[in-house]
Formats: sequence, structure tokens, C-alpha cells
Amino acid sequence: MKKVIVIGSGIAGMSNAIHLASYGVNVELVSPLPSEQSQSVMAAGGINAVLSDHLGGDSISSHIDDTLKGGAFLGGKDAVSRLCENAPDIIKYLEKIGVVFSIDETGRPIRRAFGGQSHNRTCYCGASTGKQIVNGLDMEVRRFEAEGLIRRRLRSFFHSALIEDGVCYGAIIYNMENDNLEAIYSDALVIATGGQNLLFGKTTGSNSCDGYAAGRLFMQGVELKNLEFIQYHPTTLRTSNKKMLISEAVRGEGGRLFYEENGKRVYFMEDKYGPNGNLMTRDVVSREIESCAKQVYLDISFLDLRKIDRLLPEVRDLCMKYKKLDISKEPIPIEPSVHYFMGGIAVKNNHETNIRNLYAIGECASIYHGANRLGGNSMLGAFYSGMVSAKDIASRDFNDDRPEFNKVLREEEDNLDKIRQNLGNIPIEKVKAHLAEVMNNKLGIVRSCERLEEGIKDIDYYLSNADNIFYDSSSSMYTNYSLYEMLILAKATLICANNRRESRGAHYRSDYPDIKEDDAFSTIISYDDGKLKVRFDKEKCYEG
Amino acid sequence: MKVKILRQKSPEDESYWEGFDYYGPSDHTIASVLDYINNDITYNDQGVKTRKIMWDCSCMQGVCGACAMVINETPRLACETFVDSIKGNEIIIRPLRKFPVICDLMVDRSIIHDNLKKNKVYIEEYNLKEAKRRKDREENFEHQYTVAKCLKCGLCLEVCPNYVDGKNYYGAQFANECYLVASRNQTKEKEIKKTYAQHFANNCSKSYSCMDVCPVNIPTLSSIGKLNK
Repeated sequence: MKKVIVIGSGIAGMSNAIHLASYGVNVELVSPLPSEQSQSVMAAGGINAVLSDHLGGDSISSHIDDTLKGGAFLGGKDAVSRLCENAPDIIKYLEKIGVVFSIDETGRPIRRAFGGQSHNRTCYCGASTGKQIVNGLDMEVRRFEAEGLIRRRLRSFFHSALIEDGVCYGAIIYNMENDNLEAIYSDALVIATGGQNLLFGKTTGSNSCDGYAAGRLFMQGVELKNLEFIQYHPTTLRTSNKKMLISEAVRGEGGRLFYEENGKRVYFMEDKYGPNGNLMTRDVVSREIESCAKQVYLDISFLDLRKIDRLLPEVRDLCMKYKKLDISKEPIPIEPSVHYFMGGIAVKNNHETNIRNLYAIGECASIYHGANRLGGNSMLGAFYSGMVSAKDIASRDFNDDRPEFNKVLREEEDNLDKIRQNLGNIPIEKVKAHLAEVMNNKLGIVRSCERLEEGIKDIDYYLSNADNIFYDSSSSMYTNYSLYEMLILAKATLICANNRRESRGAHYRSDYPDIKEDDAFSTIISYDDGKLKVRFDKEKCYEG
Repeated sequence: MKVKILRQKSPEDESYWEGFDYYGPSDHTIASVLDYINNDITYNDQGVKTRKIMWDCSCMQGVCGACAMVINETPRLACETFVDSIKGNEIIIRPLRKFPVICDLMVDRSIIHDNLKKNKVYIEEYNLKEAKRRKDREENFEHQYTVAKCLKCGLCLEVCPNYVDGKNYYGAQFANECYLVASRNQTKEKEIKKTYAQHFANNCSKSYSCMDVCPVNIPTLSSIGKLNK
């Protein structure tokens, strides 16, 4: 019987595990926390699909065109086509397993509009689509657990992949409860670990999405793609916990962005882009807010109180709970924040990486969203990637012969022991805090060669002083061993951003403000014996 | 402000209280206080060097349930409990008592899933006859939506006077999940109602304290009413 290890149990990881199990494959579903605590539960918006009863004029080819256009034509055309073609069946499946969609009087999912879409095609579950989908998938995982096909391993962290001669044979997992490494062999390894939020400190996402797996696999020979494309959400509320997302719906209902100068409000978006200026795309609004260099506010207080209660109850409650701020009376202080990573592990259309039997799915993989992602396409990509990779794995024959990795496991155990004994003088929290500062200030929304090179120098300082970092034995071992790979991933991101000397999608360079047709290729970065090599994928080797 | 935390190094070790001095802002959450202690304080209030406080967190905005703990004797989420809402001048934090401690404020809540799995509490297929489907849409949709938001955080079990260790009586979250399955798959209704009676209804003393602490405000009473019909 085939056996697959899936790392991460959000929507992508669960979709993969469920599909594999339905093909009769044994699955080890590995994650530190249960699925209820995955980042997927925070996705509020919805999931795009052109259903059979779509609005007049809409079509699957419109969904494909919108996705490719939104991604500034860096998304893989074949991959995006299959994603959109499968979307109606995905909604049908989610309905079948009992996900509580918002429905109309005929029982059909209601569809709404999201930015960058030509038609209303976003199905949703109230204001908690991600949570509702996670709940439905969690029940299906439970069903296959009861049948013995899926086994969950909680309190377990990815350490490294078992790779020899370009083929993956499983993974080394760190178990927090017994403080041990374990090598688990499998026919395929699937990575579903989400984006690299923690490189930026506090963002809109979960702090358990840290990019470690991508960084580690990169150092093991896996190529990464389009790391420079990071979506900023223009309107978030800074709280002591994190940056909380203020829904685009506020601007949709007429919310106005302004800053104050000499006691007067300056409605900078309307001044520059006309009456609909507040509704410009996320990347344009984020850049304009950044260029204000002042506290910017979002005002919706002029809206009728009943309308606020009816249309924006989540925003009203969030501002009241975390800032004691009544949005019907006061404007909301906002700032842009890192929100979604279009870049990640490079995968082909079947979601296999450049290492045989190693797959990546969900936000940690880069394939559908190109240079920018449309709202409603992230959960679709997460679910579909889990499904398509499972189908590929189930259809393949795997070789039973595999090399032994006992020596590798012993070496990695020794490395952890060295970490336990390291008493350098730079505290690990300070390094992580400075890493976030570098990524926010030197990479940020508006980039330039000068600042990116400064950022690379800053990261290099910590990489070359890794032996002087104080590893804290009272923190979890994972916190300690994940730092170096996070630094490597940060450096790779800065190099990718420096290499793209144009402005496209979410990547904006003040020194190269225009789009260049000659650069309409994905960035690929690889790691070779300590050297990071970046190139444009002109051969399109990850498509088809 | 003084922060007292009940700590335990491992499941085998004895628990002990440790105090810290918190000088941060009062409009911060308890989650931020824990971050502050871990990132900015190396010594406890006795001047003794201490280890990091282990606790679970993920979303930090009340939608994942990871940071459920007991704060000044009330089971709550640390990410949405504010320092200035604490009465008195001491913040007293302890792990949930109904679950085995892994380390400090981190507990093992896997029994919640084990009980659901053991009793086959999953929908399998949304399956209602047309007439029931229509009625369902009119009467139950909102409730199903709210029930599906359950965080499995364990706060309802922590506060429940009947829930001990999840061996026989499974508590409010189990009842709500049973409701969701029974209401969405008619073919499982009978079987689910049986397991609901055995592991919830027959032993619930109806204090309804579960509803007072639920972070997503699930009206368990409504699930009970619908299942008892």
C-alpha cells in the first residue's frame, strides 16, 4: 500500500490527505497544531467558481482571463485553466460534505464580487468561509482516520526531507513531546505549510506560518519561484497582538482614506484618482498609503448606523474589541500589511517540485497567482492543489527500493545537540525581531536596489554569525533550529526582488517603475553549495 | 502589575506558581503580556532567571482557539482578554484543568477529536429530503453556520460541572457537533441522536455555563432543543 507524508493540515493539506485516502493511500498528516488552528480558518472572503447557473456573460474562460490578468501574466496558463475548470466541481464537493455555504432561496450558493473580477463568482460562507471549509474537511479527515487511512501526528514539526540523487524518500520529523527526531519513509512527501509570514513579524496571518520548510528544502536543492511577489493588504489595524485585516468591504461601502495636514483632512486617493480613488487595487492603495509617510485613516463614520450594523458588523466588532473604537463615530487608523505570498516552492502542473516524489501545495507553492492574487482564488488554489497532487501520486508506480538514511538521521541529531550546547551572545528573539525589521524596511512595499542590497548585507551578518546566536534551551527546539533557514529564505527573497528590475503586479521598484515586456517570466532561485543563483524561467520549465 | 502563572515543565513534573512584573500598557491582551514576558523579561519577580513560558497561539484574533486558558478563574482566550478588564491588581493564569498539561499553559486537547472520531460524528454526505431541506434552510441555517464555527478550544468543557476527563461524558462541543451532523444528513440522524443521548443528554445537568464562555457564542441550548425533538 502506498504511503504519503503530508506536512501541514490547513485546507491544502487536508484536501490532499482526503483525496489520497479516497484512492486508498495511507497518509501521515503531520502538523504542530490541529486543523482548527491552521491559518486557513482566518480566510474570510470566499472561493471563486463559475457554476452552471452563473451570471449572464460569465464563463470559465473569463475566470481564467481574470486570474491571468490579475497575476500580470506570470501565472501558468495551463495550470490556471485547469484550476478554473475544476472550480465548479470543487464547490459541488464542498456542498456534498456539508460545508455551510450562504445560499439563496433556491438553495444555491450566493455569489458576490471581489476586486479584479469581471463577474460575481465568489461563493462564500458568511464572514468565515475558511473556517466553514476547514470544519467540513476536518470531518472528512475524521472519517478516513476512523477507517485507518489517515493518521494525524500532532505536536510534530517538519525538520528536513530525505533526499538522495534528486529523489525524495520521506521526511525527518521533530516531535516536540519527546524532543526527538524521527525518519519516516514514504512514497511521496507533500509540503502544505502556508506562507512565510513570520519573516515579517506581525502580519495579518498566523504566526505559525514561518517559511522554515521552504527555506530548508531550498537548502536541500528544491528551487523556489517568484519570492518577490508579496501581496500587501492596504487597510489593517495595528493591535498589540498583530495587524488585523479591515475588510475591503469598508471601502466598498464608501469608506474614504485620508491623512491630516494643518488640521485639515487630505483625501489623497480621491485627489489623485478621482471619486472612485479609494477603490483602486490593493497594490496601488498600499503604495499610496506608504508614500503619505503619515498616519492614514479610513473613515466610514458618515454611514448610517443601521447600515454599519447590517453591512460591516465584523469590522465594527473588531475595532471595538481591540481598540475601543466606534467606527460610526471615529475614523480607523490603518496601515498596509503583508497579507499573502504569491511566491514559494516552484512546482509543475502536477505540483511536483524539481525533486522527484516531493510535492508542494497551497500557499507555500507558487503556480497560479503570478505577480498578484485575486481575492477568492487562494482557497480555490489550496483545495485544487491538494486534489491534483493526490491524483498524480495515486496514479504513479513507486519504486520499493530506497536508500538508508540512518547516517543522515544521526548527523541531524548531532546537529540538534550542537544547538543545545550553543551559548552564543546574540539572543534568538532579537535576531527574529531584527529580521522582521529588515524585511519590512528594506524590502517593503516600495523597493530600490540600494535598500535591497542593504537588506542582504544585514541578513548576511546574521548568517555569518550563526555560531554566535544564543540558542535558548527553554524555547522549543523548533524555534531554535528553524532560524537559520528562515534567514536563508529572507535572503533569497531579497535577491529575487533585487533581480527583477521592473515593476509588475505586487512588486514595485522606485528605481524601475515601469513594466518590461522582456521580463515577463517567473523568477527561479536555487541553492548550490552555499551560493544562491537567480534566473528568469525563460524555458518555462515549470509549465506543462 | 503582577502576573502569576501556574507552570509545569513537563507532564511528569510538579506544577508551581511563578510571578512576573508587568510594566506594559493596560490596553494590551493577555496574549501580548505573555509575549512581553517571553521576549523582554529574563527574570521572575524574585530576580531568578527563568525559562520561556510555553503556550499555544496561532491566529491571535479569536478564531482558532489555540490560546484557551484560565485567566483570573475564568476560562477564556488570551488573545481577546485585555489587561484593563482584569479586576484587582493581579493577573492569574493557569492552564485548562480538564486536559493533561504538556508544558506550562500548553495542554493536550486531542480527546475532543478522539471522541468525535470514535463515535463517527461526521456528516459524510449532505443528505436531506426536499421538504426537509426547505424547512432546514428556513429554520436552521443560521444555527448550523454558528455551530460550524466551533473552535474545539475546550473552554465549554473546562467550565462544565459534568465534564471530567472525556471518558464517558463528552460535553457541549460534542452535542453541537452531533447537531450539525444530524441536521445535515438525515440517514445518520437516528444513530447520532443515540450517541448524543449516551454521551451528553443523559448526563447534562443543564447549568449551561458552556454558553457563557463560548468565544463564538454558540447557543448550545438551541442544539439541545433541536436534537431532543
